Amino acid sequence: MRCIGKTERVNNAPIVAEQLVRHFGEVKAVDGINLTVNQGEIFGFLGPNGAGKSTAVRMLTTLLRPTSGTARVAGFDVVKQADDVRRNIGVALQDAAIDPLMTGFELLELQAVLYGIPANKMKQRADDLLERVGLTAAADRRVGTYSGGMRRRLDLALSLIHQPVVLFLDEPTTGLDPMSRLTLWEEVRRLNREGTTVMLTTQYLEEADQLADRIAIIDHGRIVREGKPADLKRTVGDPTLLINVSRAQTDSAKTVLARFGELRPTAEGTLGVGLKGGAERVAEVVRALDEAKIVVEHLELSQPSLDDVFAEATGHRLEGAENAPQAG
Amino acid sequence: MRRRPAETARHLVALSRRSTLAIFRQPALVGPSLIFPLFFAALGSSAFSRAISLPGFPQVDSYLQFTLAGTVTQGVLFGSVTGAAALATDIQDGFFDRLLAAPASRTAILFGRLAGSSLFGAMQALVFLLVLLPFGVVVQAGLLGYVSIVVAGFLTAFAVGALMSVVALKTGSAEAVQGTFPVLFILLFLSSAFFPRETMSGVYRRIADANPISYMVEGQRWLTIDGVSLTAMLQTLAIPAGIAVLTTALALRQLSARLRAR
Amino acid sequence: MTTTVQPSTDALISSTQRTIGILAKRSIRNIRRLPSAFFPALAMPIFNMIVFAGTFFAVTKIPGFPTDRSINWYMPLGIMMGAAFGGVGLGFTAIRDIETGFYDRLRMTPTSRLSLVLGPLTGTLVRIVMMTTIVIVLGVALGARFTGGVLGVLCLYIAALGLATIGAGWGLGLAFRFQDMRGAAVMQLSIFLVMFLSSAQVPLNVMTGWLHTVARVNPATNILRLARVGLVDVGNPDHLSWNAVWGGLVAIGVMAGLTLTFAVRSLHRLND
Repeated sequence: MRCIGKTERVNNAPIVAEQLVRHFGEVKAVDGINLTVNQGEIFGFLGPNGAGKSTAVRMLTTLLRPTSGTARVAGFDVVKQADDVRRNIGVALQDAAIDPLMTGFELLELQAVLYGIPANKMKQRADDLLERVGLTAAADRRVGTYSGGMRRRLDLALSLIHQPVVLFLDEPTTGLDPMSRLTLWEEVRRLNREGTTVMLTTQYLEEADQLADRIAIIDHGRIVREGKPADLKRTVGDPTLLINVSRAQTDSAKTVLARFGELRPTAEGTLGVGLKGGAERVAEVVRALDEAKIVVEHLELSQPSLDDVFAEATGHRLEGAENAPQAG
Repeated sequence: MRRRPAETARHLVALSRRSTLAIFRQPALVGPSLIFPLFFAALGSSAFSRAISLPGFPQVDSYLQFTLAGTVTQGVLFGSVTGAAALATDIQDGFFDRLLAAPASRTAILFGRLAGSSLFGAMQALVFLLVLLPFGVVVQAGLLGYVSIVVAGFLTAFAVGALMSVVALKTGSAEAVQGTFPVLFILLFLSSAFFPRETMSGVYRRIADANPISYMVEGQRWLTIDGVSLTAMLQTLAIPAGIAVLTTALALRQLSARLRAR
Repeated sequence: MTTTVQPSTDALISSTQRTIGILAKRSIRNIRRLPSAFFPALAMPIFNMIVFAGTFFAVTKIPGFPTDRSINWYMPLGIMMGAAFGGVGLGFTAIRDIETGFYDRLRMTPTSRLSLVLGPLTGTLVRIVMMTTIVIVLGVALGARFTGGVLGVLCLYIAALGLATIGAGWGLGLAFRFQDMRGAAVMQLSIFLVMFLSSAQVPLNVMTGWLHTVARVNPATNILRLARVGLVDVGNPDHLSWNAVWGGLVAIGVMAGLTLTFAVRSLHRLND
């Protein structure tokens, strides 16, 4: 058992939240979250900016007191046993919060002291971690000179200095180039294989799909779906048929499409329907549209994705949400 | 390219209006340069009430009466940094270059830009004179004295504004302009703004003797304490006017340099 | 019971000491890495000392003034201004760390909240010792003369460190409450007022009117008296004596206790 703490542990699941609520004045940032993350899992918290992901993580990592509800992390209560929680979790923060005036090694040293790691083990631990994240050569450079990817990797190393049992990654790859993103994913998988339970928040569908064993979709402070990505996609079931028609024919096209399944939210100017019965009914739809004298400009059949799960659960899409905030 | 004087005047009025409104719409910037000098005057009136009988002090009723000229100068010096910082911001934002590209005269642009802080300087002087009035600080030179001190406020703000414009035009950075603030502060302290030169000694005295701010403040001080005299009037008005001519010339030169560099 | 608890208490104390040590180290290292922040902290007290001593050179001739050297009076003022602003400067650093998110990282560690305050404070106090030493050397070169010997010098250091501690607690507390640069404005203005509404410029017995009323009850006056005990004329009631010293010590103890409590409590409230 790698868990260290002065108080006895109660529950075996590394993260358990019950009716977790956080208000900021009138704003209900987190509005009653129930959540269990199992030992050895990579758990993905998926949602757009402002959905409440970071607020939830700040409560789970003892940075913010819940308005109501409870949470246990590594078996300890996040409010009453905050120090025990802190000893057992590692956290890589959004934006890699790092003092630019310090060098990578100095930051690791500081982190080691703050976690009470004995002086004689400190140097070895820091060197191992620097090597692990590929920063040995940059160890004595000031962090201000690091690239975005290097900062994230250092951030990860910092969060690992005390060998935590639970690792929180708050939007670990936001703003990174695709190469750095892949490197970081690989490292997270490796840590997970070594037994670390990981909770990551992300607004990238691909990241959740690729990394997470299970995900929770959060929107407006509530968990709206939870499960394995594959299972969730199956629940959406039918593929989405997307068509584009002229503005004048939009309403009549909707009427026709509604006969084949439930209309689904899509990007502006496109109509979508969850096609009951799947691909073999496409021809039927085309005939029906033709009979109604509707000119189809573009037609596409799209298999269910996490974005469909998201759209089905929330009524809006996540993909492209950054470019078109009005979609939400 | 020659422009008709009427056109230049129209530009000047339009630009002056803009710069004046810009200053008075920023109470957060304007407030401190009114409050701090009054705070120091109030502090001095309590702390140095017994100092006025020291040898070297002129015959005054109160330290407040002595320090009126210093308060006015202090306020105007600090206030004029605000206007210049606005100019630097204009340069940073590209607004200034757009003005220069327009067919407006360079003098109109510079003077229009300085009009705001100069009017503010005059207003500051008037405010200080009026606020200290109920505390028995009366300018002995009468209406002419009041008008002269207000005009001196205008001229001082104009002179400092032009000097700061040189920095602003050269660097184009509002931070660099704010950075010259301590220099003004030091110059003010190395003058007779708070205590008479006659009470100082050594190197410090020699610096204050050479500092034009000393003579400017003393001109206003004689108007306050003794009444009208030619020397006092000259020191009050001619010194800031002279400095203004000098710094305006520098600023116009810097403006030409900036135009050439474009 | 005691035998089982003892080792963990020891470990806790040593861990707290190491935390304070490394956070202090970070603060001291930044003198070199961020000189633009340290330079004004050194230039300001020197400038204060010189211009006040020069401008108000004649003030010592007022009957009852406790020294005849203006620099003896204004050197400690420069140091105390530097100490007060140097102390609240810690609040600036904290705001910077909060804005970059670095403070979240510190708060997430299982180290005691008190050491998160005491660590940077230790670093600041080292800076204040450096500043005080430099200003004293310069002041003596410009004519300041200690009348109270080593004990007098010691009192000046104690006053400076005490005032810096008060300022640091105040600055940190405000930084944790405001969490942005609005806090910095409040810090500077409040310290400015407290310092000037005291015996900063002239002693109590020389001032008149409203300032006398305010300065008499301002704890900064007591701390300034402590700072000056080794610089006023021998025989003056404010010269090195228990009577002149205890007021300042009490003011430092009480005020530092209050502001540090404010800082630690505000740090806890960051979770809210």
